[in-house]
Amino acid sequence: MNDSNLCIALDRVGKTVATPDGDLDILKSISLQVRFREAVVIKGASGSGKTTLLGLMAGLDSASSGEVRLLGENLDDKNEEQRSSVRAGRVGFVFQSFHLVQGANAIQNVMLPLELAGVEGAWQRARDSLEQVGLAAKLDTPVEHLSGGEQQRVAIARAFATEPEVLFADEPTGNLDAATGRQIADLMFHLRDRAGTTLVLVTHEAELAGRGDRQILIESGELVDGGA
Amino acid sequence: MRRASLHSYWLMFIATVITVAIVTSSQLVTARISLLLDRQASELIAGDLLVESGRELSAEYAATARDYGLDVSRSVSLRSAVFIDDLPRLVELKAVDDAYPLRGRLERAADATAPREVTAQGPRPGEVWVDSRLATELGEQMMLGEAGFDVNWLLTFEPDRGGAIFNLAPRVLMHVDDLAATGLVVPGSRVRQRMMVAGDAVEVARFKAWLEVNLAPDEEIEDLENARPEMREALERTRMFFALSIVLTLVIAMVAIAITARYTARREAPKVAMLRAFGISQYQLLRYYLRQLGLLWLAATLAGIAVGWLTQFPLQWALDGWFGRDLPQVFDLRPYGIAALVGLLALAGFSLPHLLNATATPPMQVLRISVGRRSWWRGVAMSAAAVLTVFAVLMLLMQSSLLAVATLGLVLVCALLLPLVLGWLVRLLLASSRRRFWLRQYLLSRLQAGSRGAVYVMSGFSLVLIAILLIAVVKDELIGDWQAQLPEGIPNYFLVNIPGDRVVEAAAFLRDRGIETSAPYAITRARLSQINSADISTLSFTDPRSEHFATHTFNMTSASELPADNQILAGEWIDAASDRPQLSVEEGMAQRLELQLGDELTMTVGSQVLRAPVTSIRSVEWENFKPNFYLISNAALVADTPRFGLLSAVIGDGDRSALRELLGIYPSITLLDITELMARVRGIVDKASVALQFFFLFALASATIVLLAAIQTGRHEREIESSLLRALSAHTSQLYRVHVLEFTLMGALIGFFSASIATLAGWAISVYFFRIEFHPSLEVWLYSMVSACVVLTLAGTLVSRRVYNVSPMKILRS
Repeated sequence: MNDSNLCIALDRVGKTVATPDGDLDILKSISLQVRFREAVVIKGASGSGKTTLLGLMAGLDSASSGEVRLLGENLDDKNEEQRSSVRAGRVGFVFQSFHLVQGANAIQNVMLPLELAGVEGAWQRARDSLEQVGLAAKLDTPVEHLSGGEQQRVAIARAFATEPEVLFADEPTGNLDAATGRQIADLMFHLRDRAGTTLVLVTHEAELAGRGDRQILIESGELVDGGA
Repeated sequence: MRRASLHSYWLMFIATVITVAIVTSSQLVTARISLLLDRQASELIAGDLLVESGRELSAEYAATARDYGLDVSRSVSLRSAVFIDDLPRLVELKAVDDAYPLRGRLERAADATAPREVTAQGPRPGEVWVDSRLATELGEQMMLGEAGFDVNWLLTFEPDRGGAIFNLAPRVLMHVDDLAATGLVVPGSRVRQRMMVAGDAVEVARFKAWLEVNLAPDEEIEDLENARPEMREALERTRMFFALSIVLTLVIAMVAIAITARYTARREAPKVAMLRAFGISQYQLLRYYLRQLGLLWLAATLAGIAVGWLTQFPLQWALDGWFGRDLPQVFDLRPYGIAALVGLLALAGFSLPHLLNATATPPMQVLRISVGRRSWWRGVAMSAAAVLTVFAVLMLLMQSSLLAVATLGLVLVCALLLPLVLGWLVRLLLASSRRRFWLRQYLLSRLQAGSRGAVYVMSGFSLVLIAILLIAVVKDELIGDWQAQLPEGIPNYFLVNIPGDRVVEAAAFLRDRGIETSAPYAITRARLSQINSADISTLSFTDPRSEHFATHTFNMTSASELPADNQILAGEWIDAASDRPQLSVEEGMAQRLELQLGDELTMTVGSQVLRAPVTSIRSVEWENFKPNFYLISNAALVADTPRFGLLSAVIGDGDRSALRELLGIYPSITLLDITELMARVRGIVDKASVALQFFFLFALASATIVLLAAIQTGRHEREIESSLLRALSAHTSQLYRVHVLEFTLMGALIGFFSASIATLAGWAISVYFFRIEFHPSLEVWLYSMVSACVVLTLAGTLVSRRVYNVSPMKILRS
C-alpha cells in the first residue's frame, strides 16, 4: 500500500448507509489499486455501487470501513475540508450532466477551478484548455447556448485546466448521442494520453469501457473482477 | 402522492392564510374604523344627520325617523341678549332635549380652573351651562327673557359647535322644556330649529332619501360636508391612508401566493412528467390539482378568517381612547364572505396558470429536463392572469378608491420594469470584467442564471419592500405635514365680535402685554344672492355642498395682502390701490358654484347690496387653524358695511389676566379656545399610525413567506452548485463567502430599487392625492438597502445552512 507508483489504493473499503429498513451495505470490503497513468474503467449494473466507489476513490465521500489512499494521502482521518485540500489542483472531474455554472460563459467555467485553487494566469490557462477541446471560438458564449457535446467539451477543458494527476469521469457520454459520445471519448483519452493523467471512468458503454487499460466489475457492492 | 403534495403546498397555504386574514381583518377593522370616523364626523353635528329650519319642523320628520329605528334629538338656537352687571350681552342660546347629543360628548367644568368632566347629557330643566366668557356668572342667577336660571356649569366642549370656528357669540346651553318660560321664542324670532338623528348607517341613508323628497324649501339637511373643514380634511386623509396601506399589504400577501405557487409548480413538474409518462391524462391531473387547491383554499380560508377575526382585539387595545371612545361593534357577515372570495380569487389567479402549465409538462421531461421549457407566451399569459387577479381583488375591495388602484398600477408598472432593469444591470456588470471570474463575476452569473429565477425572486421581494417603504414614506410625509401645520405656538384662541373699529386697538393691547396675535381682520357677514345677475334661488345645484354655499351667510374680509398659506391659482390678487370692486374666491367654492374669473357676484349685507367680479381664485390651507376666508374683497367694497373684528392669539396660562383686562374693555368679545380641537386633529393621524402597525405585522409575515419561498425556490440549485464547488475543491469558507455575498448583493440591489420606486410613488401619492409637499430623504435608501441586505443575508444564510455542508457526492447523484 505504500507503493509510490500507486495513485489510488483501497484496502477492504466498505460503505454502509442507514435506511428506514436498517443499515444497507452499498460497498463490501473492496480492495483495489490504481497506478499512475493507468486508465481504469468501473462497470456494473445500476445500483451496484459503482458511483459510490468512484466517490470514495475521489475523496468526495468517506468510507465506513477500510482505508482509502489518494495521491499518497490517507483519506480516512480527514474531514471534507482536508479531503478538499488533497483534491485541490490535483483531481479533475467530468460528470454525466456536465454541471457547468449556468449564467457564466465557457471560459469562466474553465477558470473556476483554477481560481479556486489560487492559480495565477487563470484566464490564459483556461483559454489554452478550451483551445485544446476545439472551443477557441466560443470562449465568451454562455454555456446554456452551447450544444450538449460542446458543454461536455467545456467540462473536459475545465477538468484538464488544472493539469490534474487523476481524472474521475462519471458516465461522461451518458447524455450524448453515439457520435458525439465517441468524439468526447476520443478527446478525453487524447488529452489523458498527452498529459499522462490517471483516469478512473464509470460507464455502461462497452465500447468506451474497452478503451481502458483495465476494467473493474462491481456487483451488489462487491468487486467481482479486475481489482488487482 | 397526497402527502408529498401537502408538504410542497405548505408555504402556499400560509400565504393564503395571511391573505385571507388581511382581508378579514381589514374589512372588519376598516368597517369599524370607518364607522368610528363617521361618528367622529357625526359628532360635529351631534348626530348622523341634521335637518335645520328657521321655523318649527314637522312632527312627521321625527315620527318617520323613529319608524326607521333612528334616535332623534332636537335643539332650538337663537341669539338673545342677557344682562350682566346691567349691561346687555349678546349670547348664542341653545335649548336641547334629554337625548342631546346623539353623537359625541359634552365637556363641562365646575369653574374656569377645575378639571373638565365628560358627560353624555346636557342641562337638566332649570339649569344653564355657559361659555367660558361668561365664567363670572357661575353660581349666579341668569335672566333669560322672563325666566331666571341657575348657572351650574361652565361649558368647555360642545361637539356640534359647527360652522366656521370664529362665528359664534358666547354660548348658553339650556333645556328645551324651559324655553317656553323665557318667552324668547315668539312669532318672528330668528330661531334655528334642528332635528338630529342617529342610528344604523343604512337606515340613516334611507331616512335621508325620504327626507330629501319631503323637505320644505326653507329646510336643509346637513351632514359631514358641512362640518369643520379642519377636521374633515384629517378624517378624509386618514381614510385614504388606510385604503392605501391595506391595498399595499394585500399586494404583499398576493406576491407571497404568486411566488409560492410558482415554487409549488416547479416542484410538481417532475412528478407530473412521471405521471404523464405512466399514462395519466392531463384532465385527470387537472382534476387532482383542482381538488388539492380546493382543499387548500378551504383550510386556508377557515384559518385566515380566524386569524383576521382575532386581530380585532389587539387593534381595539391599540386604538383604545381614540376620540375618547371604543371602536364601535359591527355585526356583518360580509367581511368573511369577501375574505373567502379574495382568497379563492388570489389562489386561482396565481396558482392555476402555474398548475395548468405544470400539468402540460411533456412526459418526455422524465427523460430530458430541457424538453418542454416554458414558452414566452405562457409567461405572458401567467403575468396577465396575475395582474387581472390583483385588479379583480382590488375592484372587489376598493370600488371607489382611485388612490388604491392608481397606487397599485404604479407599483405594478415598476414591478414589471424591475426585472428588465435588474437583468440589464447584471448583464452590464458581467460585461465589465472578463479576466477574473471568481468571485464577483461568479456571483453576478448566479443572479443572471434563469434556472434559479433570481431576478424573478428579487422582483417579488422588491415589490414587498416597495410596499412597506411606501406605507412608511407616506405616513412620515403625512405626519410631517400635520406637524408643520400645527407647530407648537400657533394661535390657540380666536377673539371674535371685537367692534369693527377697535380691532387694531385690541391687537395692540395684547401685543403690548407680550401676547402674539394674528393680523387683525374686519369681517362682514354677507349672503350670496346672485351670480351673473341670475338669482341664486333660480340656480339648481345637485351637490349639497354647492347648496350650502348658495344658501349660507359667509364671513368676508378685506385684505390688501394675500394671507399666508393662500395661493393664487387664477387671476390677479387684489390691487389695493384701486377702488374698483374686486373679489378673491376660494377654489372649492369656485368649483362648487362653477365660478369663473370675471363672473359677477351679488351679495347682501343686511339691507346693503354689494357687487363685485371674481378677480382671482385662491387655494386655502383649511387645516392650519388660522383665520381663513371663502371670500376676500378689496377694502373699498366693504368699507360701508357693518363689521366685527377677529384676531387669533397664542394665549398661555400666564396671559389670563391680560385677557380678563381686555374683556373688561371690550365686553362684546367672544373667546374661542381651539386647543381641544387641535389636539383631536393631531390625535387622528397619531392613532391611525398605531392602527397601521398591525397591518405592518401582516406585511412582515407575508414578506417572510416571500423570503422563505424565494430562498427555497433556489435551494436545490444552490445545493448542486455547492456540491460542484466542493468537488472542485472549494473550502467551506469560500462557500460561505459565495452565499453571504450573493444574498448581500441581492439585498443591495433590491434595497436600492425599492427605495427608488417607493420614493417615486411616495412623491406621486403625496402631491397628487394627499396634496402635501414631498420631501425625498436619503435615509429611505439607507434603511432600504441596509434592511434588505441584513434580512436577506441573515434569512438566506440561516435557511440555506445545509448548503454549506452539502456533500460533494451530491453532484454525482444529481
